[in-house]
Amino acid sequence: MSTPTPMITRLSTLSPPSNSRTWQTAPHPTQPIVATACSDRSVRIYSLTSFTLLHAITGGHKRSVRSCSWKPHTQGQNVLATGSFDSSAGIWRKDDGDRLEHEVSREIGDEESEDAEEYQFSCILDGHESEIKSLTWSPSGQYLATCSRDKSVWIWEELEDDNFETVAVLQEHDGDVKCVAWHPEEDLLVSSSYDDTVRFYREDQDDWVQVAVVEGHGMTVWWVEFEGGKADKHDFRAQREGLQDTQLQHIEALERSGPRLATCSDDCTVRIWRRKPREGANTQNSGMPSIIRSAAIDEDWYQEAILPRAHDRAIYSVSWSRTTGLLVSAGSDGKIVVYKERWRSQESNGTTNGAAMEGVEGADGAAATEETETSPTEWVVVAEIFSAHDVFEINHVTWAKRADKGKRWDGEEVVISTGDEGEVRVWTLDEAVSRL
Amino acid sequence: MDLDKDNANPTILNPSDLPSRRRESNTGKRDDGGSGLFDNLIPRYNYLSDPFDDPVSASDSNDDVVENIDEQEIYDLISTIADPEHPLSLGSLAVVNLPDIHILPPISPQSSVSTVVVEITPTITHCSLATVIGLGVRVRLEQALPPRFRIDVRIKKGTHSTDEAVNKQLGDKERVAAALENGTLMGVLRKMLSTCE
Repeated sequence: MSTPTPMITRLSTLSPPSNSRTWQTAPHPTQPIVATACSDRSVRIYSLTSFTLLHAITGGHKRSVRSCSWKPHTQGQNVLATGSFDSSAGIWRKDDGDRLEHEVSREIGDEESEDAEEYQFSCILDGHESEIKSLTWSPSGQYLATCSRDKSVWIWEELEDDNFETVAVLQEHDGDVKCVAWHPEEDLLVSSSYDDTVRFYREDQDDWVQVAVVEGHGMTVWWVEFEGGKADKHDFRAQREGLQDTQLQHIEALERSGPRLATCSDDCTVRIWRRKPREGANTQNSGMPSIIRSAAIDEDWYQEAILPRAHDRAIYSVSWSRTTGLLVSAGSDGKIVVYKERWRSQESNGTTNGAAMEGVEGADGAAATEETETSPTEWVVVAEIFSAHDVFEINHVTWAKRADKGKRWDGEEVVISTGDEGEVRVWTLDEAVSRL
Repeated sequence: MDLDKDNANPTILNPSDLPSRRRESNTGKRDDGGSGLFDNLIPRYNYLSDPFDDPVSASDSNDDVVENIDEQEIYDLISTIADPEHPLSLGSLAVVNLPDIHILPPISPQSSVSTVVVEITPTITHCSLATVIGLGVRVRLEQALPPRFRIDVRIKKGTHSTDEAVNKQLGDKERVAAALENGTLMGVLRKMLSTCE
């Protein structure tokens, strides 16, 4: 029905905005900066400290920049990969310099001092036959995955600076590949597509192969993202005292499954997928090596939950907080929706449901999660805002560490949304929703 | 103004039969009108203008900033698009038809997003240009309508052999965006839309 108190509040709009569509915003893994992929063929780097533009990367791509990704674990420099509708991916570098001094000078208004440091074009990755839709570095930084309307997923490995080798070209999909994502702990790649499926890939004896495919979304799957590494220390799993045996068993089973996957689609749903823990995981050690690809590498992913339906048009983006385990989604209807997972109340007798839940309980009770009957947890909407980018569509939404002076607690996160009008907006959540 | 005078072919709708604002407001003509097409249109107009005329909804705070746009205006925007193959308008070829245009109000009172649904009827079931025509309609409306409108262009069910596939393409924002950056395709679209002024 109606949202109670506004649990989500606009903190800032990054300035100046682009004057054409912006597609995606990638927060840097460690620094308080973001890179925004723009349809004007540029990438804009903004500060999350001052909310202002630091750099604009122009003159590289011939068409829209659709996607960008920061390489993790770089020493002394920032490395950004960009994927464009011009079918190519670009690698850009900037030496770190003295970042701290840079931020300080920015804040005291000394705008000129760091202009010498710009992002330099480093190399171009050619191979795709049509628009690159998404690209992302693996958590170790060893691999870069790209995907395209040409229905393929490419995996590139950086052997040394600017020397990239194609280690795999995966052509399992029957339609545009919209998004690629890496498992946070394993070399497991996932892709989602216009063919409505989600596919998983692994390296098997020097060959990358498909190890699982999931179907369920009735329409294009726009975004995929894995659950973060440490969220289980802070979400519904954190407080284990007083839990029932079935709940403890559920937590153990989740640990064996590992990080789950969230997907969102044109069919207006957000879904959670989970790996079936392998039974007798050590039997493969005793087996003889087989010429035929061992079945042992295949994985079984199944749908664990469909989140409460909160969008009435295509959902373009979903993001899983690595800190709090909250999920956020956004799309064509211009809404931003935040979801939280909790124990089903009838079974848990109010163990961990704090005051944060009280306000929305009545409103969202009707829209309860439609997950598989037996799941002891459920997802509820804890915050939502209409017209988050006025009347415009939202192309992307993600979490980032809050870095401005107003930060309320250590580890506080903000939601960053990227809109069709060219604006990137920063949102804070009510403390009751997001504080650990 | 938007009348197409090029039609000599009998399979083409006569311009005076095409729905227009002038006729809709002329209530005198309604009474003596015998055309089935016209009859069908009247209840639609009445139904749609109701919410706007209703004094209760008119007091809504949004109303002073939101200008009312109805199906006829949508029709006027797209019926003059030129067919990519023939020197004729989509209106006169009955590819776009007023009864196949629908404006859906915001789903929630907290939302200001309306949806325009246009179903197009390709001239033959295997028309390979259905996608281009649909793209032309979508682009025309995206350029002409305020951004609070979401535009869904579809092939009318059962009128095209691959309507599902075409609908999926036309509904894919990313594909549409990429198509608009394609010079060749834009050339075709520009030509189609050049008759829209």
